[in-house]
Amino acid sequence: MESNFLPSDYFPIVLQLLAAIGFVGLTMLATHLVGPKRKTKDKLETFECGIEQQGDARAPISIKYFLVAILFVLFDVEVIFMYPWAVNFREMGMQGLMEMFVFIGLLLAGFVYIIKKGALDWE
Amino acid sequence: MTGIIIISLIAIVILFLGLYKLDKAIVPLAVAALLAAITSYALAWNTNIYYFNNMLFVDNFAILFSILTIATTILILLLSPGYFEKISSNVAEYVALILFSLVGVLCMVSYNNFSMLFIGIEIMSISMYIMAGIRKKDLASNEAALKYFLMGSFATGFLLFGIALVYGFTGSFNLETISTLVMESGGQAAALFVAGILFMIVGMSFKVSAAPFHFWAPDVYDGAPSLVTSYMSSVVKTASFAAFIRMFIVAFAGVIHIFTPTLWALAAITIIVGNVIALYQDTFKRMLAYSSISHAGYMLIAILALGPDSGNAIFYYAVAYSIASVSAFAILIKVKALKNSESFDAFNGLAKNNPKSALALTISMCSLAGIPLTAGFFGKFFIFTIAINQGFYWLVGLAILNAVVAFWYYFRVIIAMYMKSPSSDEKIEYGFSYKLVLWIAAIATLLFGLLPGILSGLL
Repeated sequence: MESNFLPSDYFPIVLQLLAAIGFVGLTMLATHLVGPKRKTKDKLETFECGIEQQGDARAPISIKYFLVAILFVLFDVEVIFMYPWAVNFREMGMQGLMEMFVFIGLLLAGFVYIIKKGALDWE
Repeated sequence: MTGIIIISLIAIVILFLGLYKLDKAIVPLAVAALLAAITSYALAWNTNIYYFNNMLFVDNFAILFSILTIATTILILLLSPGYFEKISSNVAEYVALILFSLVGVLCMVSYNNFSMLFIGIEIMSISMYIMAGIRKKDLASNEAALKYFLMGSFATGFLLFGIALVYGFTGSFNLETISTLVMESGGQAAALFVAGILFMIVGMSFKVSAAPFHFWAPDVYDGAPSLVTSYMSSVVKTASFAAFIRMFIVAFAGVIHIFTPTLWALAAITIIVGNVIALYQDTFKRMLAYSSISHAGYMLIAILALGPDSGNAIFYYAVAYSIASVSAFAILIKVKALKNSESFDAFNGLAKNNPKSALALTISMCSLAGIPLTAGFFGKFFIFTIAINQGFYWLVGLAILNAVVAFWYYFRVIIAMYMKSPSSDEKIEYGFSYKLVLWIAAIATLLFGLLPGILSGLL
């Protein structure tokens, strides 16, 4: 697999980069020069799917959403560890099974902890 | 290794103790678990076992630093009854977080693979980011947590980039494999490799708060609750230095001559910045923060003058510094509770009302300043000796000059205690465990100052 690349071999990529930037620059310049300029209040407003905007984007949101979301991500990610484990299940044998039990056991302890602590109570 | 398992499991048990309102049992259980962990490490002395496919290597270096950090944590936990309760009712979580962070520390002092170093640093730091901000309604505490978190993750990025570059050059995370490659190259190193090590130095310098990467330290040490600060300035700093020097002793010993100017400048700047800015502080806690920066500078000298005695010199210094620092913070907590102030004036006349605590603080200040008959003197002595043996005369001269400057700010509090009159006649009340910690710290400081041979020949 050893193969040497010269810097000049990357020339097509540079060309593509220039074309991409050039296209953006050119269209922006063209619309700016050619397009009519009629500014009304509605037109200058932030465009949000055609719905009228309401309030500020930095409105405080209840921390409960964050808590549920972060706990979901935690348990979601834990499942990913099971895929490589399941693929290598035969090779790892009894030891692998035990290790997964320990892992799930710790996870379960954490789950019991957050339930008891009331992290998932909405009210 | 058994120690890591014991501490992790007990930390989880403690979380559940908190759920079932068994708060009284938390600290005794934690201390018992830590004593068991110390025993398991002590029994592993001279065995040199590899764990987890060479991820961890528990040699005598790792055992010594593990025992030191665990013992310091015991002292800090003995100070905690009555302290965390004032902050909030989540005492179990605080103790559990300290134990989890200790697990990270144990990974950091015994790593044999850079991925384990990274994991250890993350486990340790993430717990500390939370602990720095446990005073939720205190603005300074919030600032400390956020600043520590942002700067800490930034620095970890540097460390990770460095590890990646070293991996790119050597094709391995394993310290011994890297060391073999370095030896084969005969002291020569490619630019990629040098850049990698340089990034790792930056990352680690941040963790040990060496100037010019120290800017987070005063604000974080000042803003965090004092007990957490004492943990940060003793255990976290010891562990970071152990990890820092292990990196050079095991992996990069063959190329350290390339980094001599870098480490020389780091040590010199850190010593000067720490000592000179500490002179201008008005509060005792902030003075201790800057003094902790200056101590990082002295310990950097041992890494610069890398040799067979470096590990031992850093260990001795860390022992002296950790004990003195815990005892200083312990008395600061009590004085703060009494006078509601952390300034030097709060210590006025402490010797009249509380002669014993004034004496304990005096011993700890003398040890930090490095006065003979205390452990701190031999800590500095061993480091300066190895530096002089390797010919770093200018740096040692500078360090000694700065150690003399440091007398000024360490003695400021002693003068306040003994020569000024107290504002009130209130006495400080100590619980049993508090007295125990102060006695242990004072006796250990004097013992290691009189008989340095107990610890100096271990590595």
